[in-house]
Amino acid sequence: MGLAAAKNKRKLGTDPNNTKWSRNETTFGQKILRAQGWQPGDFLGAKDAAHAVHHTEASSTHIKVTLKDDNLGLGAKRNNGDECTGLFDFQHLLGRLNGKAEDVLEAEKQKREDHLRNHYLEQKLGTIRFVRGGWLVGDVVKENVTEKNGVPQSDSANQQPSEDTNSAEPTENKSKKRKADSDDEDEKEEKKDKKSKKRKTDTEAETDSESSRLKKKEKKDKKEKKDKKEKEKKEKKEKKKKSKKSSSDSDDEDDVELSTTETKKSKKDKKREKKEKQENKKEKKEKKRKEKESSDSATDSEDSKSKDKKRRKDDTETAKSSGTSTTITSSTRFLARSRFIAQKKMAFADSAALNQIFMIKS
Amino acid sequence: MASHDDRGVKRSNMEDNAAQDLKRIKRAENGDAAPEKYNPYLAHLNEDGNNGDFESPLDSFERHQTTAAQAAQAEDSELNPWTGQPHSQRYFDILKTRRDLPVHKQRQEFLDMYHNTQILVFVGETGSGKTTQIPQYVLYDELPYTNGKLIACTQPRRVAAMSVAQRVANEMDVELGQEVGYSIRFENRTGPKTMLKYMTDGQLLRESMHDHDMSRYSCIILDEAHERTLATDILMALLKQIAARRKDLKIIVMSATLDAQKFQSYFYDAPLLAVPGRTFPVEIFYTPEPERDYLEAAVRTVLQIHATEPEGDILLFLTGEEEIEDACRRISLEVDDMIRESDAGPMKVYPLYGTLPPAHQQRIFEKAPGPLREGGRPGRKVIVSTNIAETSLTIDGIVYVVDPGFSKQKIYNPRSRVESLLVSPISKASAQQRAGRAGRTRPGKCFRLYTEKAFKKELIEQTYPEILRSNLANTVLELKKLGVEDLVHFDLMDPPAPETMMRALEELNYLACLDDDGELTRLGGLASEFPLDPALAVMLISSPEFYCSNEILSIVSLLSVPSIWVRPNNARKRADEMKMHFAHSDGDHLTLLNAYHAYKGAETNNEDMKRWCHEHFLSYRHLSSADNVRAQLKRIMETHDISLVSTPFQDKNYYINIRRALLAGFFMQVAMRESSNSKVYKTVKDDQLVMIHPSTSVTSPYDWVVYNEFVLTTKQYVRTVTNIRPEWLLEIAPVYYDLDTFEKGEIKSALTRITDKVKRRQAIKGSGSTR
Repeated sequence: MGLAAAKNKRKLGTDPNNTKWSRNETTFGQKILRAQGWQPGDFLGAKDAAHAVHHTEASSTHIKVTLKDDNLGLGAKRNNGDECTGLFDFQHLLGRLNGKAEDVLEAEKQKREDHLRNHYLEQKLGTIRFVRGGWLVGDVVKENVTEKNGVPQSDSANQQPSEDTNSAEPTENKSKKRKADSDDEDEKEEKKDKKSKKRKTDTEAETDSESSRLKKKEKKDKKEKKDKKEKEKKEKKEKKKKSKKSSSDSDDEDDVELSTTETKKSKKDKKREKKEKQENKKEKKEKKRKEKESSDSATDSEDSKSKDKKRRKDDTETAKSSGTSTTITSSTRFLARSRFIAQKKMAFADSAALNQIFMIKS
Repeated sequence: MASHDDRGVKRSNMEDNAAQDLKRIKRAENGDAAPEKYNPYLAHLNEDGNNGDFESPLDSFERHQTTAAQAAQAEDSELNPWTGQPHSQRYFDILKTRRDLPVHKQRQEFLDMYHNTQILVFVGETGSGKTTQIPQYVLYDELPYTNGKLIACTQPRRVAAMSVAQRVANEMDVELGQEVGYSIRFENRTGPKTMLKYMTDGQLLRESMHDHDMSRYSCIILDEAHERTLATDILMALLKQIAARRKDLKIIVMSATLDAQKFQSYFYDAPLLAVPGRTFPVEIFYTPEPERDYLEAAVRTVLQIHATEPEGDILLFLTGEEEIEDACRRISLEVDDMIRESDAGPMKVYPLYGTLPPAHQQRIFEKAPGPLREGGRPGRKVIVSTNIAETSLTIDGIVYVVDPGFSKQKIYNPRSRVESLLVSPISKASAQQRAGRAGRTRPGKCFRLYTEKAFKKELIEQTYPEILRSNLANTVLELKKLGVEDLVHFDLMDPPAPETMMRALEELNYLACLDDDGELTRLGGLASEFPLDPALAVMLISSPEFYCSNEILSIVSLLSVPSIWVRPNNARKRADEMKMHFAHSDGDHLTLLNAYHAYKGAETNNEDMKRWCHEHFLSYRHLSSADNVRAQLKRIMETHDISLVSTPFQDKNYYINIRRALLAGFFMQVAMRESSNSKVYKTVKDDQLVMIHPSTSVTSPYDWVVYNEFVLTTKQYVRTVTNIRPEWLLEIAPVYYDLDTFEKGEIKSALTRITDKVKRRQAIKGSGSTR
C-alpha cells in the first residue's frame, strides 16, 4: 500500500476475536456440550449423518465477515496506486533475457505499436463513419438484397443463440456492452472530472489504449470461434438470428447516441445523425466484416493467450478508464503522464540506467 | 377470538389459535365416547348432509388409494365435493388454468409416489404451481374428514401464507377461513371445518411446543424449504424424529432444484419428484472485467438496457435502503436527460425494500408507462430492490435483471456477540434465483456485473442457512421446550457452530432459564411462552419486581418491531428535531417509551393517527404493530399471573425503576467507557470496543450504559443505549458480576471500587438503607 492510499484508521481492542472466551474451557456452554459427548473439533449434529457430506465450514466455526465500505464490484481489486507502468518494455526486456527468439519479440513489439498508433488516432481524431452504398457485384451495385444474404452472415457472429450459454458468448456480447458502458462512463467522467481525479492513476493511458485494443481483438477472436460454431448450428439459428439482429443493431445505435450527447455536438448534428442511424447500422456491419477479414489472417491462438494475460493484468483499470469515443478532451490530461512514460522508456534503453535499476555492479 | 378468551382456558402462548382450543374440546369430547356429530372435522359433513343431501364424489374414494382421474372427476362435478354447494363459474375458469399448470401433468405420478413413501422430496421450479396445487392433491387423497386430521402447509413468510391461502380458497370455491385457512403470528383464520391450513413455519413450530407429535396433522408440507429459515430447519429435524414415531404422518418437503440432493440424503434417501417450472430461458451476461464501482455500473446498465433493449421491465438488485434510494434518484435523473436528448421512452423507477410502507411497495405492481407519443419508444419500469424481490415477491413483466452480486446479510458472531449486517457477495444459488426472475413472462436477460470467473471462484454455492447465521439463544430455549435433550446430536441439516451453541447455552444459564445441569428452569419455561428473545422475555417477567411492568411491556413491544423512527433523506433535520420532542436524556429506551406514550395520548384525543405520526416522523405502521404486540404479550402475562404495575409518574424513581428493570434482562449487554471523555466503550466480559450509535438521544452518556443491540455496520456500534449505575449491576445480576469471574483490567478495578464504595456506604448508613 502506498502512502497515497486512503487512510483507514481503526481502533481494535486487545482481543478483537475474543479468543479469551473461546479458549476458556470452563464456560457453561462447553460444560454442557462436553457432558453430551461433544469433543472440541467435532461438528454438532447426528453421528455419521448421511447428509454430512453437505456440511460446510460454517458448521465448525462462525461465519467470517469482512467489512465492505466501498462500491468495488465483485472480484475487483482496489487500486492502491501501486500498479506498475511500462510493463511492456519490461516484458520485452525479460523476454530478451529469457532468450526468446528475436522475431517473436519483434512481432510482439510490432503488435503493440500498431495498437498504440491505432488507439492514438482514435483518441485524437475519432473515427470517421461511412454510409453504406451497397455491394459491387461485377459491374452492378446491388442494394440491400445482397446485404441481407451476405453481410448478416459475417455479422451473425455477433448474434447469440440462446441455447448455448457457454463462456464464449456472454463475454462476447458484453464486450459490446462494455463499449457502450465506457461511453457512458466518459460522459460521467466529464461531469465529475474533479471527483474522479483520484481514480486516475498512472496506468490509465496505457490501459486505455490496451483495453480498446483488447476489445477489438476479443471481438475478432470470438467472431472466429463463433463462425465455426455457426457453421454447425446455422440452420437452427436462422430464425433467432433475425430477431436477435435487430436488438444488437439497436445496441450499436445506442453507441452512436451516447457518444453524440457526450461530445456535445450541436443539436442539429444530432438530428442529422438520427436520420443517419439507419445508414450507420449498415456501415457498422460492414466495418465489422472488414475487421473480421483482417483478423482472420492475423490472429492466432497464441495471440489470444497473451491477450488474456494482459487482460487479467489490467483487470481493475480497464473497466473504469477505457474510452473509445470521447477522447479529445482527455488527451491533455495525460500530457504529464506520457512524459513520464517516455522517461521510463529511455531508462530501459539506457544500459547504465538498467544496471542501476537492477543493482548490477558493472 | 373472543370466544376462546371467555373459555378461560389457560392460554399457553399468544399464537395459540382457535383450532388448538378446539382440539382441547375434541379431546374432552372424545373422552365422552366422542359422538361423531361433535367432531369439528366432521361437522361440515353433517351440516351439508353428506349422508343425505348430496352425493359427494369423494364417497367412493379410498384413502391413500385415489388416482388422478378420480380426483379430476370430482373436481369436474357440478357440486363442490367438499361443501356440497354448486360450483361457481369462476371455479371452472380457475380450474381450466389449474389444469394447465406443469404440476398437473404429473398428478398421477405424484400420487403414486405419495402412496408409497412417508417422506417425499418435491422439487418444483418457480411457476410450477406447487404451492397451490400439491396441498390440494394431498387433500383429495388424504380425505381429512375421514380421520379428522388436518393438512398443514408451511410458508417462510406471513404474506405468502395469507395470499396463498386466499388463492387456494378461491380455487376450491370455498370461503377463506372455512375449509381452507391460514394461521400466522397474531392472526388466525381457521375454523372448525378447516382441512387445509397454510401457516408460517414459526407458527407450526410454536404449535409443536405443545403438541410434540404434531398429532393434529396427517400430512405436513414444508414449502420453500430451500430458503432454509431457522424455523424450517428445526421443523425438518423435528419431523424427522416424529416420522419415526408416527408412521401415519406424511411429510412433503418442497424445494427449488438446487439442493434437492441434500434434502434427499437428509431424509433417508427419500424419493424425489421433480416438476419443471414454467419459466423461459434467461440469457446470462457477465462483464468481461470486474467493475470498479458496482453501483455506478448498475445504474449505467439499467440506462443502457432502457436505451437499447426491446420492451420489458427491469429489476435491479442492490443492498440497502440508502443505496436503493440513491440509485433511483440517479436513474430518474439520467432518464430525464435521455428523454430530452435522445428519443428514449419514459421509465418509471420504483424502490423496493422491507421498511418501505406497504402502499409504496404496492406501487411496483403498477403497469409500465406507455410511450410518450404514438409510435414512440415503449416505456418501461425499473424496480430497484433488495433481495426481497429474489424470492418473496413475484413481479410479472420483468424481462431484464441486473445483478451486482451483493446483498446485505445478517451474521452473528458468537465470540464477540456482535450481529453484523454487512454487504457481502451472494451465493451461486441466489445468483441463479435472481437471474430466474427475468424469465417469468418471456425469455429474458440477466446482466451480472461481475466476471464469469468471479461467479465461479468468489461465490459460495449456497447461501448460509439462517441457523448458521443467528444467535441461537431463542432456538435453544425452544428446543428445550420441545423436549430435545441432546443438543449435541440433534439431527439438524446444517448443525450450527459449536461456539454458537455454547454461547446460547451460556446466555440462557446466566438468564437463569437453564439451571447448572442444562435443564429448563421454571423461568425458562415461562420465558419460552413468549415469542421473544430470552433476554426480553426475562426482563418482562421480572419487571414487576421493579414496579414498572407496564412500562417494560411497552418497551419490549417497541423493541420487537422495526424502528419506529422515520428519517427520510430529504427531511433528516426536521425528523431529528421531532425526535428531540420525545428525547429523554438518560436513555433511548426511555425515548421510545415517551414516543409511545405520546402516540397513545394522541390516540385518546381522537387525532388522525396517520397524520399525527407523519407530522412527528414516526412510523404509524410500526407503532400500531407494536401496540398489537403489546396487547398479545399482555394477554400472555395475564394468563401467567404476571402483574401489571407502574410507579406513579410523579415519583422521582419512575425512570430509575425502568432503567433498573432493563438490567434484569440485559445485564449481559453493558459497556463501560474506556477512559474518561473517550467516546469508546468496552463491552463487559467480551472486551469489545464499541461506540454509541449516532442516532442516540442520550446527551451525556454515563460511564456505564446498557444497550439493546451490538451491531457492526461501518463501525462497531451499540444501539439503543440507556445510562445506568454500576451499583445496580452488582445488585441485580450478582452472578454475572461476580468479581472472581472477571479478568484483571479496567472493568474489574472499576467494579471493585464500586463494591467497596457500596460497602462503605452501607457501613455508614447501617443496613437496609439501600433501596
